[in-house]
Amino acid sequence: MAAVKRGLDRVLAVASVVLFAVLVVIVVWQVFSRQVLTPSTWTEEASRMTFVWLGFFATALVFSEKGHIAVDWLVRKLPLAGRKAVGVLVQLAIIAMSVLILVWGGWRASQGAWNQQLSSLPGTLGQMYLVMPITGVLILVYALHHLVDALRADPFAHDEDLEQVVVEKGGE
Amino acid sequence: ACGNGSDSSGSTAGGGGGGADMRLALNQTEEHPSFIALDNFGQKLSEDTEDRYSIEVYPNEELGAQAEALQYVGDGSVDLAIVSGTQLENLNADFAAFNMPGAFDSVEHQMEVIHDEEIVGDLYTSLEESNNVTILGGFTQGTRSIYSDKEIRTPEDMAGMKVRVQESPLHIGMIEAMGGSATPMAFGEVYTALQSGVLDGAENNEVSYFTQKHFEVAPVYSRTNHLVGLDYLIINTDVLESMSEEDRQAFLDGWTAAHQEHTQLWAEATDQAIADAEAGGATFVDVDAEAFAEAIAPLQEEFLTTDSQKALFDAARAAAK
Amino acid sequence: MTVDPSTIAALILLFGILAGIALGMPIAVGIGLSTLAAAVVLLGPDRAVLTTSQRMFTGINSFPLLAIPLFVLAGSLMNSGGIATRLIDAAKVLVGRMPSSLAATNVVANGLFGAVSGAAVAAAAAVGTVTQPRMVQEGYNRPYAAAVNVASAPAGMLIPPSNTFIVYSLVSSTSIAALFMAGVGPGLVWVLACIAVVMVMHKKYGAPPATEHPTIGQSLLTVWRAVPSLFMIVIVVGGILIGWFTPTESAAIAVVYTLVLGLLYREMTVGNLPKVLLDSARTTAIVMLLVGVSSALSWVMSFARIPRLVSDALLGLTTNPQVILILMMIILLVVGTFMDPTPAILIFTPIFLPIVSEFGIHPVHFGAIIVYNLSVGVITPPVGNVLFVGARVAGLRIEPVVAKLGWFLLALFIGLLIVVFVPFLSMWLPTTLGLI
Ligand code: NA
Ligand code: NA
Repeated sequence: MAAVKRGLDRVLAVASVVLFAVLVVIVVWQVFSRQVLTPSTWTEEASRMTFVWLGFFATALVFSEKGHIAVDWLVRKLPLAGRKAVGVLVQLAIIAMSVLILVWGGWRASQGAWNQQLSSLPGTLGQMYLVMPITGVLILVYALHHLVDALRADPFAHDEDLEQVVVEKGGE
Repeated sequence: ACGNGSDSSGSTAGGGGGGADMRLALNQTEEHPSFIALDNFGQKLSEDTEDRYSIEVYPNEELGAQAEALQYVGDGSVDLAIVSGTQLENLNADFAAFNMPGAFDSVEHQMEVIHDEEIVGDLYTSLEESNNVTILGGFTQGTRSIYSDKEIRTPEDMAGMKVRVQESPLHIGMIEAMGGSATPMAFGEVYTALQSGVLDGAENNEVSYFTQKHFEVAPVYSRTNHLVGLDYLIINTDVLESMSEEDRQAFLDGWTAAHQEHTQLWAEATDQAIADAEAGGATFVDVDAEAFAEAIAPLQEEFLTTDSQKALFDAARAAAK
Repeated sequence: MTVDPSTIAALILLFGILAGIALGMPIAVGIGLSTLAAAVVLLGPDRAVLTTSQRMFTGINSFPLLAIPLFVLAGSLMNSGGIATRLIDAAKVLVGRMPSSLAATNVVANGLFGAVSGAAVAAAAAVGTVTQPRMVQEGYNRPYAAAVNVASAPAGMLIPPSNTFIVYSLVSSTSIAALFMAGVGPGLVWVLACIAVVMVMHKKYGAPPATEHPTIGQSLLTVWRAVPSLFMIVIVVGGILIGWFTPTESAAIAVVYTLVLGLLYREMTVGNLPKVLLDSARTTAIVMLLVGVSSALSWVMSFARIPRLVSDALLGLTTNPQVILILMMIILLVVGTFMDPTPAILIFTPIFLPIVSEFGIHPVHFGAIIVYNLSVGVITPPVGNVLFVGARVAGLRIEPVVAKLGWFLLALFIGLLIVVFVPFLSMWLPTTLGLI
């Protein structure tokens, strides 16, 4: 399980870096082509789709790192058994969200829009929606991993390394 | 909220004829002719069906932009929506015929064609099997022209001009055929872009030109009249079919009255917008209409490729008299 | 007696989101599942999953939203590109002769850093890392020094560029350019409020001013060294106003500019880039997931007419605009203590904006109000990112820092009243530039 997680982390990290770099290049090209050449007509849609895929992949990675914004000061006041129970509950909630919204809903959305052409790119909106079921499965795998962990050790341990990650990540 | 009794648990798509509080997704504000006509339509429908059916109009994209609204109507989350021809074209290429520049000469001509059962009968039911959506007809969105900070008389005047378009191959091709540089951009960014010079111009009807305050930053409206805009009213097919014969007739009669009222309101809104924009310093100029018609003619060859598209376009032209 | 489904949906949303937060769930998951449950009540399970997921996708599928990852990336590049130290040195030249000069320098440096970055946490970390040890060395009370840094860091959320304004612009359909300009006045109010407290506190906590002053030549050189960094704001705002690019595109230009600057300063190498990109991708993902689920949430709220329910309830209490505005401010301040500005803006803008619009408050002015208000929340316990990070770079636990924040919070609250009741402050710049 741990090896699978490490492998997935690696793939998602590489995908995120590549998609982010591509995103920057597309938007810069949009400005350059408009100001210097003739306005490019595909960049708006291409940058949006790149961003959506980047966002979902990176979201899965952040689930792997338990890095999404959460408020755990209340839970930390519980005894260990309580923290474990809540930790399991949180992972079950994440599983419910990934299975119901991302996998089930995302798959249905994809099927429903499978023939809906994109405006300026080859491909269809339904194909773009596929990012949701894919991400949903990845988040499911990570949540199962954390679920097993929550049974073994304190899921709300004050993790110094994790705290450091939060600092670097910033946000608002 | 939905406190008028009967069934406030959303739509009754597929739920056998008992009536429904229907939700209609609209992308315009509550002052727009589309909202006014649809709201009146809803009230009249409640009266005519003795409250078995009602329509609540959700303005301002509250239930999503047009592309989403189209999906929600198909899914049955929303019962009715106003969507543009571009959205429908993504599902059935035949709709391209009515999105073509040069298809309609005027709003009256457009309304006549798109509500002519002989012309549009098959087209409007073509999405029932695949998407569970029936098209009922449409509202004009007025005649679109180019505006910028300079007068445009001929296609040559547009050379090198960066003109904002909706993101669709047809609209991009249209501006390029007219001589400009097509620049797809989100609508909300257009005002600032015109003001700062990211854009040299944009194209829209007189009403949007005024209400979006674009006349402040692009004071010359050159009547290229290149396109008569069109929005369709769509309904979830199950909802329509679940209506009793009598209720459906009341519904369709109400809709006919609604689009007629809309055409009237639109004409008034256009006159008002022109007067207000002029008072705000805008000028409206005429163009060499023939030169522009010639410039956009090749688009029909390029974008109407199937026989069914050509047949619809020809039928529209034949009705022009 | 049957209960209206809209009421059930509203109750599910209220208690579901609160329960999710209390249980330590990622906030986005709590919002997502509560939204789904409410949608099931309104639409049945099949349509609910479909609509919720579609709405998540379309909420993210927005060109203006791209500015967020790009400004985050520009900020990360700045952090690793040696820009922060140059800005602090320049701030020291500007306020170095004031009493409590180092504390004032910290405040001004956070303002300057805010002018080149879109986030407050980055400022607290980047500026604090440099200033905190120096302040302790000069004899400042340590928790007080941390409080100065924490209190002033959120100014960057008001001073353009600002990711928080981008989020507000999305939900309110207002111009990003106008909002950026509207943030300048309130941002200065924030900085001045902090400076005022530093001056008042000088007797109690201040250190003697530095005895050695740099020569004019040295000062000019220091400022000169910061010019390329500060020039980014000129490029971003100037480029938008001149018409080279849209506000969204300006974020990509900012990335290129800071990248080039970092490489020229030799504090950044191409080899570092993947790490910087990945860090920015993480921040992006956090915001993006919130935007996605909040977009589904606002759809369900509109569908159930919840904004109208809330506004009827508020208007039922009183119809005095001032009173309602103050009620909203209290609600937002309370929400801000435990919620991040991004989800709070996404949730409350659709509810509050229609009400205040009826009172004649301009959406751009309300944007400045709501961003200022929620910015206070990032420095208050129990949940405040800037507080956490600021305490951490000072090597302190949160409690002692909070104990020293009282006067700052009072000053910032007075600032909030000014921002609320003096629209001129927010509206003058965007109006003068013709953006609204
Ligand atoms: Na900023
Ligand atoms: Na807080």
